[in-house]
Amino acid sequence: MLSRSAERLYWLARYLERTENIARLVNVHMNLLLDLPKGVEMGWRQLILINASKEEFYEKNNVANERNITRFLLADASYPGSLFSSLSAARENIRTSRELLPDEAWEQVNEMYLFAKNNLETVADRRHRVIFLNEILKGCQRFTGLLSGYMSHNHPYRFILLGRNIERADMTSRILDLASLLLSESRSDEMRQYETILWMNVLKALNALLMYRQQMRSRVKGDDVLNFLLLDTSLPRSVGCCIAEISNCISRLPNSDKLPLKLVELQTYVQAIDTRQTTQKQLRGILDGLQNKLGELHGQIADNWFLRSPEE
Amino acid sequence: MKSIWKNYRPENAYDELMYSEFQSRPVSHSLCQYLNSLRKGDIDKRKIAAELAIMEMGITFTVYSDEGNIDRAWPFDIIPRIIDAREWRIIEKGLKQRLTALNCFISDVYSEQAFIKDGNMPGEIINSSKNFRKECIGMKPRYNVWANICGTDLVRDKDGIMYVLEDNLRVPSGVSYMLENRVITKRVFPELFQGIDIQPIDDYPTQLHDMLSSIAPHQNGQVTCVVLTPGIYNSAYFEHAYLAQQMGAQLVEGKDLVVNDDNCVYMRTIEGLEKVDVIYRRIDDDFLDPEVFRKDSTLGVPGLMRAWKAGNVALANAPGAGVADDKVVYAYVPEMIRYYLNEEPILPNVPTYLCSNKDDLDYVLEHLAELVVKPANESGGYGMLVGPHATSKEIENFRQIIQKDPRNYIAQPTLAISTAPTLCKDRLEPRHIDLRPFILQGENTFVTAGGLTRVALRKGSLVVNSSQGGGSKDTWIINMEGN
Repeated sequence: MLSRSAERLYWLARYLERTENIARLVNVHMNLLLDLPKGVEMGWRQLILINASKEEFYEKNNVANERNITRFLLADASYPGSLFSSLSAARENIRTSRELLPDEAWEQVNEMYLFAKNNLETVADRRHRVIFLNEILKGCQRFTGLLSGYMSHNHPYRFILLGRNIERADMTSRILDLASLLLSESRSDEMRQYETILWMNVLKALNALLMYRQQMRSRVKGDDVLNFLLLDTSLPRSVGCCIAEISNCISRLPNSDKLPLKLVELQTYVQAIDTRQTTQKQLRGILDGLQNKLGELHGQIADNWFLRSPEE
Repeated sequence: MKSIWKNYRPENAYDELMYSEFQSRPVSHSLCQYLNSLRKGDIDKRKIAAELAIMEMGITFTVYSDEGNIDRAWPFDIIPRIIDAREWRIIEKGLKQRLTALNCFISDVYSEQAFIKDGNMPGEIINSSKNFRKECIGMKPRYNVWANICGTDLVRDKDGIMYVLEDNLRVPSGVSYMLENRVITKRVFPELFQGIDIQPIDDYPTQLHDMLSSIAPHQNGQVTCVVLTPGIYNSAYFEHAYLAQQMGAQLVEGKDLVVNDDNCVYMRTIEGLEKVDVIYRRIDDDFLDPEVFRKDSTLGVPGLMRAWKAGNVALANAPGAGVADDKVVYAYVPEMIRYYLNEEPILPNVPTYLCSNKDDLDYVLEHLAELVVKPANESGGYGMLVGPHATSKEIENFRQIIQKDPRNYIAQPTLAISTAPTLCKDRLEPRHIDLRPFILQGENTFVTAGGLTRVALRKGSLVVNSSQGGGSKDTWIINMEGN
């Protein structure tokens, strides 16, 4: 397998996972807003904070209201972190790796892209936004299912899994970050009364509510949710499970000797998180550290397989 | 007949499907019956379905413009073009004959040049050809085949005879559109494939792969074939990716390949370097190897020519094969067939005036308004003059251009190239078409069943190139025996 192709498939998977995650994030935020009583002050501003895109947002917008923020996160083609930009980048990557994937994979992404492109304007109002986000989520699921059913579980497939799980672990940590942020802000006293609703929505964002109930057999509590989403090894979107998937892929790829050390370090870091002993503020720092560590892992993967010097 | 045929008047040209508004040719009886059985508005629905499929399958070609490169959807006409299998068998034989002779000629040009020495062609034509590569002298590609993949353009004149318009021996494109056109037609008119015996075309990628494997430098064990593309910004990128995917081959760019001190070609993989045996290259000679050809090329692979000359890698088409892809050389193909194969040409050439020839030049300059003038080495329909459609200013302008560089121009009578019914808004109108079959030559020779039919979508236009407002149609070779 060409190093360049490995890189493109890896990014294809990251961008598609990001597309799906942005859709989830906006969806759940919207649901949360609908669930909370009118008096509770909770805005859309947090969504741009966890994406570290505050500056870019205010360059283009004056007011952080629902309309501007959803348009920025979903439809702004000039903001590289938007859903549409991610989907476009995914399409560009799959267009240049068609020879490695089943036909339907390209058609699925292309269809989704065309759908998004033709419906960008509709995201401004809530009702159409729900439809839009649902279509995107379905499309991403279809893509995942299609690869798992049609594609040999070979090296190209492993690079897709690798990209997907790194992006997924990163996004799970960002969603937890969002929850901590909502709870830690001083003016969120009122918010704390509705903490259970918040954590339920976090679980919903990761499609984990049912699995949580089956596993924990208790009511939804903040530190249990955190534990579950960080450490559980069987929930597909928990950080622990993502790291296990990443380990599994890496061990089956050629020339991977340098990486296991990094992975052990990452696993130890996650397992050491004690959710009962940390304040929301500390937790935010820990999650930040996790995101940095994932970034380092990405750098090592790139060094190892993508960037080959001409001398070799 | 129903309204879609209203005022269908194939005038001044041979129509492939119809004698007149009211009478279809035998090959198209079944198709016409079917079209007439459709309800009003049905055909529009099929057309929309086809457009949707094209968008979803992402069948595009790139147009370069000042506003940047745009991927345009492939313009497709849903009404197929039909050829009787009995006629096709003869054309197929003619195409094989032609490519065999052309390959004999290229081999000869890079070795003894007997064709020239025996007085069949002035040596000057080769010496002044920009596609003659002296670096290739003395090379002996496997089976002595230099042009492994050829796209030959055919047109039918008013007399009903198919003429060869040109042979594309460098990096002919279009075959993926031929294959996709069939996929779309099957989606849009599945009913038609029950009643009509249409020859399948989808074995082309397999045939291509077999041919490429057959020219590998070694024949022991697995052969690694790759498709070498200039990259995403090339107008035929869609096709490069498509063919690689259909063959299960790697699609590589120049930077993925490296030639080592052992003069072998390797690709950079996640497991280190892996040896490459056959390269289906979709890059022009000029850009292939900066060590030998254009120094500024970033698309090619330094050392590729070394590896090829050492016999460690096969290139299809071989470097230098383009010497026969020259409209002046074209004029000599019938003579080549007689000389190398001792046969009479099965497919005729269009009569051609060579401006390098004093008598021909005088004739051309006198009759510019009736002729089509083409540069010898361009493709894509660029830089040509269609006399009967040109203004007197354009003609005068061309007169100057030709006189400045007569070697680079040829002229041909303006053919009344054939038409086929094409959906224009809500009814069918005749539009001019040509045909590009693809011929593969390695250990064996293979011709596609039909080819890519290109159609000039503008009324009256004779230019079918997609870069100039052309579209395409599915092409059916149908067996009439037993009907």
